Amino acid sequence: MIKKRSTFALIIVIVFGFGLFLIGTDGFTAYTAEQARTMKLVEEKPEFPKVTLEDSKERVYSLSEFQGKYVMLTFIYTACTDVCLLLEMNLAQVYNQIPEQYIGEDIVFMSISFDPENDDPATLEHYRNYFNSDGETWRMARIPDQQELDGLLDRFGVIVIPDNNGHFAHNAAFYLVNPEGKLVDVMDYENIDQAASKVNAILRTEVGDKS
Amino acid sequence: MKQPIYGLGIYLFLMLPPVVTLLESIMVVHMHMQMPLLVMVGMLFTPFLQQTFPAFFEKWNENGVPGIVLFMIIISYWMIPRTMDEALTVSAAEIFKFISLPFLAGVPLRDSWSKLTIKGKNSIFILLSILFGIMACIYILSPNQICNSYLIKEQKALGWTFLLTGLCIVIYFIQTLFIDKEEYGET
Repeated sequence: MIKKRSTFALIIVIVFGFGLFLIGTDGFTAYTAEQARTMKLVEEKPEFPKVTLEDSKERVYSLSEFQGKYVMLTFIYTACTDVCLLLEMNLAQVYNQIPEQYIGEDIVFMSISFDPENDDPATLEHYRNYFNSDGETWRMARIPDQQELDGLLDRFGVIVIPDNNGHFAHNAAFYLVNPEGKLVDVMDYENIDQAASKVNAILRTEVGDKS
Repeated sequence: MKQPIYGLGIYLFLMLPPVVTLLESIMVVHMHMQMPLLVMVGMLFTPFLQQTFPAFFEKWNENGVPGIVLFMIIISYWMIPRTMDEALTVSAAEIFKFISLPFLAGVPLRDSWSKLTIKGKNSIFILLSILFGIMACIYILSPNQICNSYLIKEQKALGWTFLLTGLCIVIYFIQTLFIDKEEYGET
């Protein structure tokens, strides 16, 4: 009888633990906050908030400039020496894998700086040359208003922690915003081919085969 | 019965908002100081709870196995990178941390430990060393930021402290195999 009760208690404990891990990791799928964040974003499809962008050619506009087009976004700062460079190099490769007829017409690329203080248009203009961005179909822009910037970062779950030496710890991904201005996908920036084929598949089904 | 009072004191101290903020601002301190202290609070409460509810502990944790499994589950749960982040961003997770670590890890650990057989204790030492080793590898070797709230260098520091703690457990475990406490009159 006593033996049975201990076994019963053990079973309860194991079931509890299983349930705890099941809930805590969204059904054994998200072990880091980053994975959980991405899953939640894709599920919720938050809208790109109204913000004023200033690009490397000193043009000022909001995202509605690109209404009717998909926008592929990254969040960077130009003084970054590691992740951002890789992120942008990979974005350049994705850009190159998109058929030319879609570029600029149905999709634009945009790198948004979260360091508006240092990344003025001149800096961005210089920075875009590293990645052969044309400044037109792949733009680099900053959001001068810190409040607007924080609102966007918060809504898209971009976490930026300044380290007080002019650098930031931040997460990185490709963000795809649909023609209605809603975030539809967050992609792994290290998996270039997967991101490119995903974007191409979306363009083919939504815009149609143009070739 | 001074232990529960000390326990309560430490518990309340750890709950003070400035203390919470300070301890959680450093990753290593969050994982290897705040959390173990919460487990210790539970251990200090144990004699009081055992006296108040003697039947419960005898009935449901007779051989110590359910208790020690519960302890292992709870501490493993708090080693998942996501739970550390959520403790900082989701208040329900923070409350769960302050309840689960003392009462679902600390209390069952102390209640179970004396009931476990030598074999049971040895398995726990081995399991813990392996677990700490794995966590050390994850936190030291990961090229990415695993916790959104902490920097990569803090993450690496945490990995090394995991390794160090793991080594201490291994050393302690090995000495228990060779040193007979009774020979020294410490039963």
